[in-house]
Amino acid sequence: MAADYTLLLAAHDGNAWLRLYSWNPACLSFGRNEPALQRYDRERIARLGLDAVRRPTGGRAVWHSAEVTYAVAAPADTFGSLSETYAAVHRLLANAVSRLGLAAGIAARPTAGHAGLGAGACFASPAGGEVVVDARKLIGSAQVRKAHAFLQHGSILLQDEQDVVSSITRGAAAAPLATSLSRALGRSISFEEVADVVAEEARSEWEGSWNESVCEPDPNLISRFADPAWTWKR
Amino acid sequence: MSDIPATLHYTEEHEYVKPTDETNVVQVGITDYAQGELGDVVYVDLPKPGTKFGRMEVFGTIEAVKAVSELFCPVSGEVVEVNELLDQDPAAINRDPYGDGWMIKLKVRNSGELDQLLTATDYAGHIGE
Repeated sequence: MAADYTLLLAAHDGNAWLRLYSWNPACLSFGRNEPALQRYDRERIARLGLDAVRRPTGGRAVWHSAEVTYAVAAPADTFGSLSETYAAVHRLLANAVSRLGLAAGIAARPTAGHAGLGAGACFASPAGGEVVVDARKLIGSAQVRKAHAFLQHGSILLQDEQDVVSSITRGAAAAPLATSLSRALGRSISFEEVADVVAEEARSEWEGSWNESVCEPDPNLISRFADPAWTWKR
Repeated sequence: MSDIPATLHYTEEHEYVKPTDETNVVQVGITDYAQGELGDVVYVDLPKPGTKFGRMEVFGTIEAVKAVSELFCPVSGEVVEVNELLDQDPAAINRDPYGDGWMIKLKVRNSGELDQLLTATDYAGHIGE
């Protein structure tokens, strides 16, 4: 989280980033304003030895394990308005998934309105505009806008292990409506294979000169996002 | 096309300022265009009454389906009332941004700052409508 947020702050200088990464160890993340104390069993999370963090972006809980995590940080007007930005990033990801041989689509806005923050796992339902395959959510995303820059990050599932979120949910948990690349393709797929097609798609679709580097997070941000008072703020 | 009432004033960051019956007290919220861009609003984090803000200082955050965004105080002043309805019904911002979806009432510190806000015509041009 600290690395992604570092990129958001740095985007105010006019540069843009696509970051692709994975998690070690696997980790649970909550949305910025999600009522985690009420919705999830903190003691059970501790007993199971699961790491947990709270994102600077919105939305609901995600189990980060077998996935490619992407983050795009750029000046706010890079792709136009907020909705144009949201659409541009998802279109790029859908095109990348199509390169793998899958028919990826963009979810329509739910006619019944969006599920609230207390509704449980992120992958329990696609929000309008998110990437779906066979009407099931493949990529869960969230965006934050700060002053004149935005950060959008999300999870491209290699395997569907989102039932971990259900297992630590208090009360009834909605059945996840997720899919994964390995399920949709009928074969296993590596982090590298997916990261490569996303990077290739970005290089071909997004103008500019690309340089590869490793993101060094701001140490102050590491402390902030590691603080249990932030993770369990509500 | 978005609803842009001619009698209100606006910021480039999509907040509006609406006069109230009280002298030097204005109502602040986000525009119809902004709520449409954000999508369904699920949470609003607003300050407590008595909090003071400078012009274009961040006074809160709003979370919707598409993004979490900062809220900017259009003019400097002190919060005198917060719309508590939004705790239970943040979607009021989508349904009625200029009415039930208002966010804070602000006692304006320097009324001259109101002249620096955008008119409805300026704002329509800013959002390309």
